Amino acid sequence: MYRYIVQRLLQGIIVLFLVSIATFGILQAAPGDPVETMLGEGSTQLTQEDYDRILAKWGLDKPWYEQYFTWLGNFVTGDFGQSIVRAGVPVNEIVLDAAGPTVRLTSLSLLSAILVAVPAGMIAAIKRYSIFDSGIMVWASAGVALPNFWVGLMLIILLALYLGWLPPSGSGDWKHYLMPVFVLAINETAILARLMRGAMLEVLGQDYMTTARAKGLREYAVIGRHAIRNAMLPIVTVIGLRMAFLLSGTVVVETIFAWPGIGQLFITSVYRADYQVVQAIVVLFTVLVILANILTDLTYAVIDPRIRLN
Amino acid sequence: MSEERIGIERLLSRLDGVSRRDFLKRSAIMGAAVPAFASLLAACGGDDDDDDDDTGGDEDGGSSDPTATTSRSVPTSAVGGQEATATEEEAMDDEPTATAGDEGGEDEPTATEEADSGDSGEGQQGGTLILMGHHEIASLSPDDAGPTVHWVMVTQIHNALVELDAWYVLQPTLAESFEVTDDGSTYTFNLVDGVLFHDGEQFTSEDVKYTFDFYMNPENAMLTASDFAGITSVETPDDLTVVMSLEGPNAAFLANAGQAFIVPQHHHSEIGEDAYKSDPIGTGPFMLSEYRAAEFTECVAFEDHFRGRPLLDAVREKIVPEPSVRSIELETGEADSSVWALVTEDNIRLRDSGDFTTYVTSSTAVNHFPMNNERPYFADREVRRALMYALDRDLIVNELWQGLAVKATANISPALDFYYEPDVTEYPYDPDMAVQILEDAGWVAGSDGVREKDGVKLEWTIAVIAGDQARRPEAEFAQESWNAIGCNVSIEDTTSASSGMRDGTHDMSLYNWTYGGGSGEPDGSNTLRSDALNNFSKYKSDQMDELLDAGLAETDPDARAEIYSQVQKLVAEDVPFIFVKYWDWFNFYNKRVKGLPEDVLAGSQLYNACYTMWKEEES
Repeated sequence: MYRYIVQRLLQGIIVLFLVSIATFGILQAAPGDPVETMLGEGSTQLTQEDYDRILAKWGLDKPWYEQYFTWLGNFVTGDFGQSIVRAGVPVNEIVLDAAGPTVRLTSLSLLSAILVAVPAGMIAAIKRYSIFDSGIMVWASAGVALPNFWVGLMLIILLALYLGWLPPSGSGDWKHYLMPVFVLAINETAILARLMRGAMLEVLGQDYMTTARAKGLREYAVIGRHAIRNAMLPIVTVIGLRMAFLLSGTVVVETIFAWPGIGQLFITSVYRADYQVVQAIVVLFTVLVILANILTDLTYAVIDPRIRLN
Repeated sequence: MSEERIGIERLLSRLDGVSRRDFLKRSAIMGAAVPAFASLLAACGGDDDDDDDDTGGDEDGGSSDPTATTSRSVPTSAVGGQEATATEEEAMDDEPTATAGDEGGEDEPTATEEADSGDSGEGQQGGTLILMGHHEIASLSPDDAGPTVHWVMVTQIHNALVELDAWYVLQPTLAESFEVTDDGSTYTFNLVDGVLFHDGEQFTSEDVKYTFDFYMNPENAMLTASDFAGITSVETPDDLTVVMSLEGPNAAFLANAGQAFIVPQHHHSEIGEDAYKSDPIGTGPFMLSEYRAAEFTECVAFEDHFRGRPLLDAVREKIVPEPSVRSIELETGEADSSVWALVTEDNIRLRDSGDFTTYVTSSTAVNHFPMNNERPYFADREVRRALMYALDRDLIVNELWQGLAVKATANISPALDFYYEPDVTEYPYDPDMAVQILEDAGWVAGSDGVREKDGVKLEWTIAVIAGDQARRPEAEFAQESWNAIGCNVSIEDTTSASSGMRDGTHDMSLYNWTYGGGSGEPDGSNTLRSDALNNFSKYKSDQMDELLDAGLAETDPDARAEIYSQVQKLVAEDVPFIFVKYWDWFNFYNKRVKGLPEDVLAGSQLYNACYTMWKEEES
């Protein structure tokens, strides 16, 4: 078990290294540069000397591999460097500032997705082929198919513009949470509900269910004690994996709802060629995905004793 | 002011539906911006008096009818236009403007503006003006005030010696007046007495000297260092006098260095530039109260501001990245104005709704196809001219742009009326002429239908900004037009339109850029000179270089106008790049925002006059 964990972590470090070097390469290949974005639309007419001086100030005049190793050296000590666009501000600080809103948004979304999807999937399975079942399945298909930027904009138009119930964007009080949490949760809800339904159906067809009923257990006990527990197994593992997808969803949702989180920071930093910040976010996401994968494997092993990790 | 009179005659002949008032405003720019006039003590404020009588005449202003707006013929603040990056929202952005100017028509805005906006009576105190930007406010340092989203807040906090107002007039601000020696090389600024910084410290000439010295110092590698080029010394004979010596006459001095925001020596020198970016202290009407880069930035009224406490209690700029959401924020009244552009459809819709005070102003950045003149096919001027004839630019303006633009004649926007030269080589849509020119120049069709000469084919690629939904159709239209006369043009996406042109990677691209005209200053040295950093087309002309140098050395406005007229004629003649049009720029304000002028020439520049605005409480 420990050996397995160590093995996976070592693999993770290699993946991290490859991802970071790839990101660095891609950023270098995309020739937009931060000096240009910092100049903005202002009237300053930079001369070549001034331009070179500014590049040198940020070490951007060095060859890319040198820049990369400087970055790597700092990274190993937990230092992500400084944002170039937000001159002087440590990247750690910027990313941490943005992490709070994103964690709140994603965890609320995931939580509401679970709270809705698990019972919905269960009921759909138990009442198979009922109207309720069909309704859930239509909803689930739509949830997977509808792009979140579209749903987001439609919601804003409906709830903020026409009905005036909610503020169109921003963050602050609870009202600001409703729309982004909903939009981010749609997809998760749909996937989890389908999965739950499938898992439930499979479990319900098992011999031990018949046995349980034959023992004379009441139906709710059959479902509650035997079916749900077994059906939850695949759900738990998937929830871990979905965390990574949720994070990618924030890129769009946070931009639409002007939510000051990691997703919006990522987009802004890409457009403004703020290399250090982009690099930090990519690395952070990579770490999260790697950890989520390892944890999922472990959870699986813990929940289901038949699974051996080695 | 005899020169100005001549200028007026010259302008009058060109007035084209432009109100006399605007044009007077504009002529005043000359008065302020040009050293020769400045020697008369450029208290440019005086011009406004002239206008009062005219204001009744033109109704256009804040109304929602763009066609009536005079702004079309006027310069937008635009300034160093900038290529849009890939966001789709950036559709209409390019040059929102922004010069460093600030606090525009303050000196006597009250009189004019009240008359203009029809808001008779006193402004009410109170309220928070809510603005929207499209990306984080990365810094509040004057050095980072290039992006409009930053500038809008930097200008609330700081003041400069002179600041550009929404009519392109440089208004004396921290300098109550200035003198310039006849040779144009020494400026003496007389500072306003009794100005306080937000922390209560007195503003003196030492702060000006400190700011200039700091920004000029190459060791500090400041972004705006180039604005201070040519200053040899800054001296402070007493607390209220600053004397600046230049290497030689520099007609662009006031528009560049004069508009530098002044930082407090005692504070800035103590905490350093990096820390200052999030902890600025200025003399401006509002002082920083809360700064959350990605969320919002709020400034509250500075009670001891030297021009009096602003009417508003606070100005807040919140970040709303998605353009369609910004327009919904405007419609729901959650926000009062969007600093950054909306999408075109929303611009038209909001304008036509009549629910907003709307300003439509013209950009000074030209929408153009820069092309690498070092490529063998583009090196032939006849080819470049043929491409102009083959492109139906009227159709682009009217169909693709729904009329929200004005056709370009050369590098200077017709908005910049005083310097605009309409009498240049014209290129009406004439594909036959284009073909004729190519034939005459020896470019004949090969077996594949593509024209060639000496083994060089008329074959190139247009690098279009990836995701640029606004300009992509324009590129496709040009592609078709040029293929129709025997070229073989393809299109590729790029994330580096301008830098790719700069380093010679691309044959041709498509974006907007200012080739002179930003902040009303016609100099295009940074884009048209042979050795210029932003000479994207790698255009080399000794004649052009001489003209540009002469333009900066000349202090007489009419003589300058003559030089820049020649610049434009040369651009039209040589076609270093395919100049297409100047975009319209929209600024909307919620109608509860009062104290707004009837019309402006530089829409974004109005944000530096926030301190004269107020908000009417909803009943």
